[in-house]
Amino acid sequence: MRRVLLSVARSQAAGPFLILVLVVVAATLTTNRFFDSQNLRNIGLEMAIIAIIAIGSTFVILTAQIDLSPGSVVALTSMTTAVLLVKHDVNLAVTITLILLLGVGVGLVNGFFCSYGRIPSFIFTLATLSIFQGLAFLETGGTPIFGLSPRLEDSFYGHLFGIPLPFVYVVVLYAVAWAYLRYTKGGRRIYAVGGNEAAARLVGIKVNRVRMQVFVVAGVMSALGGLLMSGQLNSGSPEYGRGFELQAIAAAVIGGTSLFGGVGNVVATLFGALIITIVQNVLNLHAVGTAWQNITTGVIIALAVGIDMWRGTLARAVVSRWQGLGRLRAPERVAVDAEATPSIVPDERVTR
Amino acid sequence: MSTAVEPVWEIRHISKVFPGVRAVDGASLVLRAGEVHALVGENGSGKSTLAKCLAGTYQPDEGEILHRGRVVHLRDPNAAKALGVATFYQELSLVPSLSVAENVHLDRLPGRGALVSWASARRGALAALSRLEVAIDPDRIVGDLSVAEQQLVEIAKAISTGAITLLILDEPTAALGPADVERLHRVVRVLARDAAVLYISHRLEEVLSVAAVVSVIRDGRIVGEHRTADVSVPQVARTIVGAELEEYFRRGEAPVEEQRLLEARAIRTKAGVRGVDLVVRRGEVLGLGGLIGSGRTEIARALFGVDRLSSGELRLDGRPLQLRSPADAIAAGIGYLAENRKADGLFFNLLPPPNITIARLEGISRGPFMALGRERRRARSFVRELRLSPGAEHRNVAFLSGGNQQKIVLARWLFAEARVLILDEPTQGIDVGAKREVYDLIDELTARGVGIVLISSDYPELLSISDRVAVVRAGRIVHTAARGKLSQEELIELASAGSVKDAA
Repeated sequence: MRRVLLSVARSQAAGPFLILVLVVVAATLTTNRFFDSQNLRNIGLEMAIIAIIAIGSTFVILTAQIDLSPGSVVALTSMTTAVLLVKHDVNLAVTITLILLLGVGVGLVNGFFCSYGRIPSFIFTLATLSIFQGLAFLETGGTPIFGLSPRLEDSFYGHLFGIPLPFVYVVVLYAVAWAYLRYTKGGRRIYAVGGNEAAARLVGIKVNRVRMQVFVVAGVMSALGGLLMSGQLNSGSPEYGRGFELQAIAAAVIGGTSLFGGVGNVVATLFGALIITIVQNVLNLHAVGTAWQNITTGVIIALAVGIDMWRGTLARAVVSRWQGLGRLRAPERVAVDAEATPSIVPDERVTR
Repeated sequence: MSTAVEPVWEIRHISKVFPGVRAVDGASLVLRAGEVHALVGENGSGKSTLAKCLAGTYQPDEGEILHRGRVVHLRDPNAAKALGVATFYQELSLVPSLSVAENVHLDRLPGRGALVSWASARRGALAALSRLEVAIDPDRIVGDLSVAEQQLVEIAKAISTGAITLLILDEPTAALGPADVERLHRVVRVLARDAAVLYISHRLEEVLSVAAVVSVIRDGRIVGEHRTADVSVPQVARTIVGAELEEYFRRGEAPVEEQRLLEARAIRTKAGVRGVDLVVRRGEVLGLGGLIGSGRTEIARALFGVDRLSSGELRLDGRPLQLRSPADAIAAGIGYLAENRKADGLFFNLLPPPNITIARLEGISRGPFMALGRERRRARSFVRELRLSPGAEHRNVAFLSGGNQQKIVLARWLFAEARVLILDEPTQGIDVGAKREVYDLIDELTARGVGIVLISSDYPELLSISDRVAVVRAGRIVHTAARGKLSQEELIELASAGSVKDAA
């Protein structure tokens, strides 16, 4: 039991989980409407889209890349869904398949140019952010389409044994993503590429292929996000999804995924997505306007990234204080090689 | 002659305690101007910690540091700098995109107000470089210089701040070839004319050639101090490990089998392999000797599929072998231990078990799924087999010693079941004990029929381990000799351009 507790405490998800608990406590204390069942349902629905997109963001960030296009992929896919269903009367199952394929295609484009094409992903996905947004506008000249198909809503907002479907999707997708990263060769290669690209090549990993793969995951997750968006609002609009990429990246980073690559896990990302959603929800309950909500989200992102960067320094400061006192014993591994000066040692990697 | 000189710096019985370990334990040293003082010891013996006490990075818990006979407290690196201590670590602190002159004056560009006087910056850089008696154009961009030249710029930067009383060099030659080492040593001797030099290194031959005094540190204690004129490499090596060590490692004279494993025929690559033929037989160690930049590493990269061949062919077991990537090479049973284990070998985000299995995940997988329990057990058995420090499999690789890190990368290729193993500087930056274990491992592997290509700048090592030594110069093999048929002097002569009889 103690060992289990210890390993939980040491795991990367511990920090985000603690923050999540604090946020929930703060929410409960400041408003009695938080635990209202309707409100909890709303949180779940709001969270689902960001959480699903954040799976893709986590995969991409794990390989030390970034994807800025998910928001406009949501716009593009929600718009295309609407056009296919309403203007071309396409069957729903076929539409969903086509949209997921569109997600694959988007991922292949991003992945190809960011790997084989050697364009930095920050720049290239910034470009596709704009391009996909433009394509979404092009489909109807910017006019949203309403009243898609009740069956679309059923597929994404119905219930399975009384559980809202978005919830089921989130749980299933996260379970699969978690198992993939932890237990498969493909998942291991993602960590290897993010941890040390040069070494990854020299152990026979096809780095470009791994990059393509994570961008495809991101594309498909964003396409799913677009379908959920269309299902939820029973409409398609080029305005949907704006800013989702930042929230998804924030969810991953709050969950402790390192922007330098190679460190992170999806369970912590899920906590990150919950934290963001709950904070926004609480601000809503307190009738805080959009302006301050945006500012708060920004501050949270800045803090999360800051903590990612400063964690090492903070840990060092604490340790050196200990050494100064000279009586407390730090964990054995600090002492192993007091003199080996590791060249790449962000301290946070040690604490996990 | 210099023994009569008053010590500039002296440390008396200092100790430095880290949680759980006494890194330095009552060590004393006397450093005189005009004298290069070498400090040698295994990894983890306390060399660098001791140096960092002098540099003001660490504050000793006990004992005192004296500067010109007076006790000083070096609260931080700046306090040490103010007293003329210049420290120089393996990792360079230069900005690659700036010129030599800018780098030399980086933190205090000369000039008035916001305006920089480039003329005086150039003059200052030239003055510092000429004090070192080296000719490097101050206008050149640092990123375009060789590593050796960059080191010299780093030293120029250190001495341009003013009069130095002590120069600390921590493993300065780890990345240098023999010719560059010689050049650095000339500079060190120039500086030692009016300052004390503390020279930390693993390379004993080198230490004995450059230093006047050598101190041996073991477990944080100074266990021996000798005039270098009075000692030999084996004597120092014995003091370092504290036990009897053979004079130099001799590999068992197992007969090399005739069966050809890997063959290269007239291979060329754009990276600088210019027509190389070589053969590695079962159970053979083929050594590649040569200067840095001679093309040794490029040959290794071609054999491992990193660089594509532009012409020529490879053969494995007599059959043609096409390598489009390292993945193909690994699938064919070739392994490559890269020269720089930190940059090109280790995954610092992964624990030792995944670091070991990464080149052959199939070995722990069924279908796409990995069996993590099996991975841990395999790692544990490697830790035992290769004598890593106990429990190493649970530690972050960044906190393992150089020797243990190297064993992890070696374990990776053992796990990958490589039949041909290319070892690029496998003993660089690891201590004497671990070196010995690497040699043992090479011996064991060849006994099992593995063919090894060994690249090493440590010539005595290369000459005694290799069954045959091929000398590489300018991307070609200029001479091949069986063990015992080539002396170190001949090797150096063949490797450096100029006075060479092409014997190939």
